[in-house]
Amino acid sequence: MHATTIRSQRALAPVRRGFVRRNLPYLLIAPSVIMLLALIAYPLLFALRSSFYFWNLQVGPEPMAFVGLDNYVQALNAFDFRAALTNTLILSVLGTAIEFGLGLTIALVLLKALPGMNVVRALLILPTTIAPIVVGFLFRYLYDPGGGLLTWVLQSLWLPVPAEGILGSPTTALAAILFVDIWQWTPFFAIVLYASLLSVPDEIIEAARLDRASAWTILMRIKLPLIRRTATIIVMLRFMQIFNTFDTVLVLTRGGPGTSTRTLGYSLYEQGLVNFNVGLVSAQTWITVLIVNIIVALYVFFAFRNEEW
Amino acid sequence: MTFDIGNMSRRNMLKSASVAALLASSAGALVAPRRAGAEDAKTVRVLSVEDPFFFSMKAMIPEFEKETGIKVELESLSYDALQTRLVSAFVAKTSDADVIAVDQMWLGQYLDNGWIISLNDYIAKDSDIDLADFIPEVLYSSNMWRGQIATLPVAAYAQGVMYRKDIFDSFGIAAPPTKASEDWTWTKYVETLKSLEGKSFGGKPLFPTVICGSQPSPITHMFTQLSASHGANWFKSFPGAPWDFSPQLTGPAWAKSVELYRQLYKLSPPEAINYVWFDAGTRFAKGDIGMFYWWTPYFYLVKNNGYMTGKKSDVMDKYATAALPKADGVAQTVSLGGWSLGVPSSSDRQDNGYAFIKWATSKATQKKMAEWPDLNFQFSDFARKSLYEDADVKAIYPYLDVQYDMMKQGNGKITRPPVPGYTAVESVLGLTLNQLLTGSEDPKTALERTNSLFESILKGNLMIPYQKESFADTLDGAKALIGTLGKA
Amino acid sequence: MARAKTFYTALTYAAGLLFLAIFIGPILWFLALAIRPAETAFAMPPQLTFEPTFDAFRHILVDPGTNAPQLVNSLIVAIGAVLLNLPFSVPAAYALSRFKMRGKKNIMLWYLGLLMAPPIAFLIPYFVLITRVGLQGSYLSMVLVLQTLTIPFSVWLMKSFIDEVPAELEEAARVDGARWYTIMWRITLPIVRPGIIVTSMFAFVFAWNNAAFPLVLSSRSTATLPIGTLGYFATSGVTWNYIAAAAVLAMIPPMIIFLVFDRYVVRGLTFGSVKG
Repeated sequence: MHATTIRSQRALAPVRRGFVRRNLPYLLIAPSVIMLLALIAYPLLFALRSSFYFWNLQVGPEPMAFVGLDNYVQALNAFDFRAALTNTLILSVLGTAIEFGLGLTIALVLLKALPGMNVVRALLILPTTIAPIVVGFLFRYLYDPGGGLLTWVLQSLWLPVPAEGILGSPTTALAAILFVDIWQWTPFFAIVLYASLLSVPDEIIEAARLDRASAWTILMRIKLPLIRRTATIIVMLRFMQIFNTFDTVLVLTRGGPGTSTRTLGYSLYEQGLVNFNVGLVSAQTWITVLIVNIIVALYVFFAFRNEEW
Repeated sequence: MTFDIGNMSRRNMLKSASVAALLASSAGALVAPRRAGAEDAKTVRVLSVEDPFFFSMKAMIPEFEKETGIKVELESLSYDALQTRLVSAFVAKTSDADVIAVDQMWLGQYLDNGWIISLNDYIAKDSDIDLADFIPEVLYSSNMWRGQIATLPVAAYAQGVMYRKDIFDSFGIAAPPTKASEDWTWTKYVETLKSLEGKSFGGKPLFPTVICGSQPSPITHMFTQLSASHGANWFKSFPGAPWDFSPQLTGPAWAKSVELYRQLYKLSPPEAINYVWFDAGTRFAKGDIGMFYWWTPYFYLVKNNGYMTGKKSDVMDKYATAALPKADGVAQTVSLGGWSLGVPSSSDRQDNGYAFIKWATSKATQKKMAEWPDLNFQFSDFARKSLYEDADVKAIYPYLDVQYDMMKQGNGKITRPPVPGYTAVESVLGLTLNQLLTGSEDPKTALERTNSLFESILKGNLMIPYQKESFADTLDGAKALIGTLGKA
Repeated sequence: MARAKTFYTALTYAAGLLFLAIFIGPILWFLALAIRPAETAFAMPPQLTFEPTFDAFRHILVDPGTNAPQLVNSLIVAIGAVLLNLPFSVPAAYALSRFKMRGKKNIMLWYLGLLMAPPIAFLIPYFVLITRVGLQGSYLSMVLVLQTLTIPFSVWLMKSFIDEVPAELEEAARVDGARWYTIMWRITLPIVRPGIIVTSMFAFVFAWNNAAFPLVLSSRSTATLPIGTLGYFATSGVTWNYIAAAAVLAMIPPMIIFLVFDRYVVRGLTFGSVKG
């Protein structure tokens, strides 16, 4: 896959040894790093400092008292913390896995390269291009218990639709949120996996075929290992994105019914932009950042351990 | 091959120069937002919410500009976006607007934090504001905090009953009364609804009623009317002094109200569990609901099919309004809410701001807003008594007597106490209520759990024990203040 | 054998159609919502045929046309975000592609890691930050904060394009005594111009679709289109036709970009890690 990558560093080995010359690459990345550090570090440090204070904008405009770890204790003991964490993990793990599986299936169908399938492939990506907030509205319309298209389709197929509506029943609401994500992002996996599978050299597959390997074996033993790097990166990207979603939950259910669709992202929204409890939401921010960091760091460690860049 | 920047051709130089100039000018445009005239002293920036009053108020603005020579820059936002923008702006101490829409819930915190100014001085000096014309219950509920009038009401809401005349007639059910009476109780209300259970009308299955089940705010707004009617209090002592915010959800009135609300849900379409404010009204306008109670703007909103379309709904000529039921042996308390206008302390054109507020809440403007025919007459949320007696307006909105009767029994400080940190407790209450509607948990147990959650949240917010000064906030005190300030 | 093949071909086409129905159908249904008479929006069973009306589009764009300026604002913010991001990301991408660096893998991953931060939690700090530098309500405030999305993305994608430029070209210039900046400016960048365009287009889409930052950073005159769609979902009512019309408006530019730059879509979406 990286046949095209040219290792040119040595070709440009520095001639003169001035400070600029010696540190040139670092100087070139410096502006972007400084810019990003300023933009990310500010809110993170702001949150870190605020998380040790009682600061609720509804109670007073300024931080009122140093409270130590009180906000962290409150955040971890909040009535919705466990539900939010569980739902977030369910959404991000299941979402990524299902999107990968479905995407791979679609990619394999697209690989049949029949005339006309190119159009299907080109159009398929459209859901991924839509803003999440718009997707939220789209599905609120489709899920409407009175006249939503999806409700009607399910009923026409004799599938049980809860009387409270798809978004109104604790048994289906989380699945409905999950489905929205799957709808939007399966095409992403399909298109990306299709493209990387396309780049697997034919000779290798031919050779395997001559050895009478089954299609399944070829897929599992040859194709997938060859696209491993791509797969690892898109899975990571997607996981991080789902972990932080809140737009769809905000538009579709506001975390209800009960706590059945509360996510960490929605909790952050509620504590921050509804309750304006700056101290508490800052502690929540750090808890969330730490959780996702640990997961991703572990993932990166195991997935990229043997990678050369 | 040599590459030297000095060898750049003249054409290329020109090209780069013009690109650079373009970039520089567009960068300039990026920094300065299009704020034509914003620095002008003859401007007022108004930040409103997109509730019904907004549309008719917007239509009247050219008149204000003509009268005063002040140019209005009007912006509207959805509820969530407005609160976000306002609080962020306050924290950053920026002057984002000269007039802002303030929900009844936000008044106390905005004023205590010094984010909006008291209007007492303006009002005291104003000879033609006619303060005494405002319904005192409204000013008390939505505009007064610690003896200050900090906002004036542009749209005042009470709650009332809407029912289908044709359905009631065809099943021979007596129409509910238009005046509050001792016989018109919540028990009677539920009985009436039960007589509609399982019925069909016009070939369509009928639901006796519809409720709001969505958490946190919609379900709380509707439920607290029921609980306030039954005499339920959120806190041990508020708004009377000394303030004590120990939660009181374990009282019998709460459990009883939950039982009732559960019954109402059983008589509603099941999908009502997810209904937000407008869903209940929209459902009634669709025609398969017998009777429900809700905020008074729905008295006119249910006439329309669609919010901003002005198209008539199926029930346009078939519904009537009635008084809100009360609980047996308990004095009635009607929920009051709505939108008011205030002046941010960061504004440097506070005089213009007050001029706009005075104009928008005046009798003349409110009447013109009510008479604005677009959107099929979408405004009757008056806070002024005289408009409830106005024949022109009454001809358009025949239910005004019922609405006024509800307003006079209103007390927004009891139904949803506008205390700092309200939204945090509301989200817990909304969640519990939502769970209780579909679940089978015993209301007492759930309320006890919620009570202790309330307590820990309020303690976390330094509300228990209350450390700041209390204020004996009574309706009589409000009336006295109106008397003093209105003497000008 | 031939029959089996025909069967599989048919099956494949059937699958293709099913994919389109599932993934494109809802979008078309939303488009229909924008142009159908309001009263048919929730008809049961769904009404496939209707008299199309462009009232909703007239309302949002012309009279009163609340969303027309927002469309312009969205364009300004997204284009601004792309333009500002280039001088930061192109040199970084060049360095990461061309030079030997210690910890390159970690630096690359660091850029990606920034996307882990939950944007919603940062809105209040960003507002405070933007106000301290006196930019509240300006386009630049949104453009600046959007750099947290566009720079990491562009660095990755640009690097993949620069990786493809044969080192021999630069080598020749170097032997002739050209400085590194001359080489970058006069040789490499012109060659990767298509890559810059592709990167910019996708960065545009990310910026365009962002709704969280404008929620607190925009003002009346700088609000963007996603904020506009939220406006039709009020507490007292919802007007689905207007939501759909504004949403369709917001959908069109990203869709066009993705369809026109079809061959680069994979590359764009994977931050350049898959060539496609």
